[in-house]
Amino acid sequence: MDTVTLTIDGRPITVQKGKTVLQAALEAGISVPYYCYHPGISIDGSCRVCVVKIEKMPKLQTSCSTTCTDGMVVMTRDPEVVEARAGVFEFLLVNHPLDCPVCDKGGECPLQDFSYTFGPAESRMDFPRRVFDGEGVKADVDFGPTLMLNRNRCILCTRCVRFMKEIDADAQINIVDRGYGSEIATFQEQGVHTLISGNLMDVCPVGAITTRDYRFKSRPWDNPGVVDTICTLCSKGCNTSAWLKAKPEWARGSRLIRMTPRFNPDVNNYWMCDIGRFDYHWVEGETRLRRPMMRRGTALEPAAWHDVEPRLRDRIQEVVTADPTAVRFLVSAHASNEELFVVKQLVEGLLGADGIKAVSMTWTRSEKPQPAGTKFKVPATDAPNVNGARDLGYDVGQGNDGLPDLTALRTAVEGGRVKAVYVIDPGPQGSIGDVSWLIEARRNGTLPLLIVQGVVTTPLTDAADFVLPGAAYVEKDALYTNDQGRVQAASSAIAPPGEALEDWQILVNVARALGLTLPYTSSSDVRRALAAAMPGGPYADADKIGFAQPLPASSWLQASNPSERWKWDFFFQDLPPVKGHSVQTEGSAQALFIPLKPVG
Amino acid sequence: MSFHPRMEYAPAKFHKSERTLAEQGGDFKYTPENQAKFDENVTHYPPEQRKSAILFALYLAQGQQGYLTAAAMQHVAQQIGCTAAEVEDVVTYYTMFYRTPVGKYVINVCRTLSCALLGAERVTEELSAALGIKPGETDPTGTFTLVEVECLGACDRAPVVMVNDEWHERLAPEQSAKLIADIRTKGAAAFTGCHLNKEAQQGAGARGTGDRGKGDRT
Repeated sequence: MDTVTLTIDGRPITVQKGKTVLQAALEAGISVPYYCYHPGISIDGSCRVCVVKIEKMPKLQTSCSTTCTDGMVVMTRDPEVVEARAGVFEFLLVNHPLDCPVCDKGGECPLQDFSYTFGPAESRMDFPRRVFDGEGVKADVDFGPTLMLNRNRCILCTRCVRFMKEIDADAQINIVDRGYGSEIATFQEQGVHTLISGNLMDVCPVGAITTRDYRFKSRPWDNPGVVDTICTLCSKGCNTSAWLKAKPEWARGSRLIRMTPRFNPDVNNYWMCDIGRFDYHWVEGETRLRRPMMRRGTALEPAAWHDVEPRLRDRIQEVVTADPTAVRFLVSAHASNEELFVVKQLVEGLLGADGIKAVSMTWTRSEKPQPAGTKFKVPATDAPNVNGARDLGYDVGQGNDGLPDLTALRTAVEGGRVKAVYVIDPGPQGSIGDVSWLIEARRNGTLPLLIVQGVVTTPLTDAADFVLPGAAYVEKDALYTNDQGRVQAASSAIAPPGEALEDWQILVNVARALGLTLPYTSSSDVRRALAAAMPGGPYADADKIGFAQPLPASSWLQASNPSERWKWDFFFQDLPPVKGHSVQTEGSAQALFIPLKPVG
Repeated sequence: MSFHPRMEYAPAKFHKSERTLAEQGGDFKYTPENQAKFDENVTHYPPEQRKSAILFALYLAQGQQGYLTAAAMQHVAQQIGCTAAEVEDVVTYYTMFYRTPVGKYVINVCRTLSCALLGAERVTEELSAALGIKPGETDPTGTFTLVEVECLGACDRAPVVMVNDEWHERLAPEQSAKLIADIRTKGAAAFTGCHLNKEAQQGAGARGTGDRGKGDRT
């Protein structure tokens, strides 16, 4: 690897050739403010706050657009830099409304943080601020189906413009007009229509672009829990963070308050799609299954686990004793590796060594409408673990490239050869595909026994004889194998609702009721057995994969904006990131701050 | 599931942007002649930089229709292979693209330093009085549009106005009303034109600080 060595603030720093001064400084833990720079998109150099002094250069340089060279001597705390930077901040705040107390970005806003740290103490501007669409909440205008735009807050860094041009490959956002009248806009105010629009909220360094989903719902300091997890709504497996809002126990509404992407250069880079970002409401929605249910006569009635299990055992054993081939399992590819592993042991114990043939995997596919050149392609397969099922020996046909083939199961069910179907469906509604034939078979009596282990109320659960409430992907520690074959950990952020249990636990309980011994008391027990059963492969270390615990967000607020999180994950920062604390006046040989004085 | 799950706030509840939009206009398509001109001009640029033809493409559209509607911008976007937003970006950036109908004569009065010092403001006032319209407006007959613009690049002959594509230099404020009357009677012949072009036509190598040989180049 070619490297260059330069000096920043008197410290010799060696970085990879081609890196910019700003990147070198950040990697060395030297705080330099920036707005237009974002590591995931191209360099623009329009915000000017990253100015530094470089020896032998005639003027101050923007560090984000200056490439490191050998022997370069850079100063980020020189009085000249401090004054120039403060001047730039003063200009950035000329028109920026000081509505931080009501702004959704307040508390995690780079403009706020950097202004406190590097900006002047007060503004000398006393004329009225430029206003685009009205003052206050009237300035929030429609910006497409997911977003809102407040032009008064915009500092024209053009990150959103470049994001749309480069990542989405459909330049829907542009700057209209010029000079003082410049504003961010879409053609004829049509708004942003893209599958990855939520990322615009992340890239926006101010509160100009906000998502409708998170608007006015919570503030950063109200979200004391943040859990690193992964999204399981498609086969990509984007690394995400689930944010939890603090609530008293009696408070209504969801605790899960938003999903944000987490940097992983091998999977999702800095981004995630709108499906994963916004489609989490079902997890704590009204349709969630909270109690086990059992059919008594025609009605499906809530029951206790200890009542359900013996009845379930009796019904299953009745079928198995008569004809072991009449029991079938229909498993959604939303099931995690742990669950699939337990299912495998359950069917092998119940039906014999090739019991796995009684299991049909199912998932859905939908081609996502995205521009041809997009750099963030959302896969067509809407299930996280097709590859995991393949690795564990289940028949998945063409895997992620194709649809599951359920014709054999369907023919057998409709022909009356199947007497019991056990459905395991921990995914959102519809993720199991078209099961109307199964519902119909149960309704007309062709299928005498239908057991559904699921998370939401669906027509399928309505038709079932037994409904076993399981856990959604943010409610259990589980492993999923994405379309690249990476085994990734989804951590439990919240507890399953009501009497719902984690799916591996339900399966172990059912197995125990059926007289099988599966010696697991936790999901990590299952992973340990999984690792032992599949040595050498990607699952060999399944028991060593770490799961995130809810982390106090206070430690994250240091990183301010969630999209800035990568710095804290990947670089060490030596400056105490305390808000309102001037790093310019301490820890530096050039501890000199020149306050700007009012004119006249 | 739709790709954009149900959002709690309905669009109807939001405030709408107050930005001035171009009118949508009827279907727009280049005439065959303009299409031929465009196809020829596009060959001046490498295929991957087809977007470079945007100004030419917009001038063609504006020449055909008099001003640019949203439909025209969409047509240009489709022709040069970019998004309509990128075209709108360019259209709104330049003062010489019009998003509303303009008069037959668009009078652009320079108001930048040299012209301002030599009375451009009074020129505007006089023109405004003679036409009965304010800067930025078009008279009811649709003949004149008065616009204030930034530097027109003829500072040595200030104050300068540009009428459509022609210059009229050294326009003293008191001559302004006469210029309007002359345009009404003589049309384009009323303008003094750009001295640089004239000198070039006369073959006279220009002298003096202001002109420094520029005449030779044109």
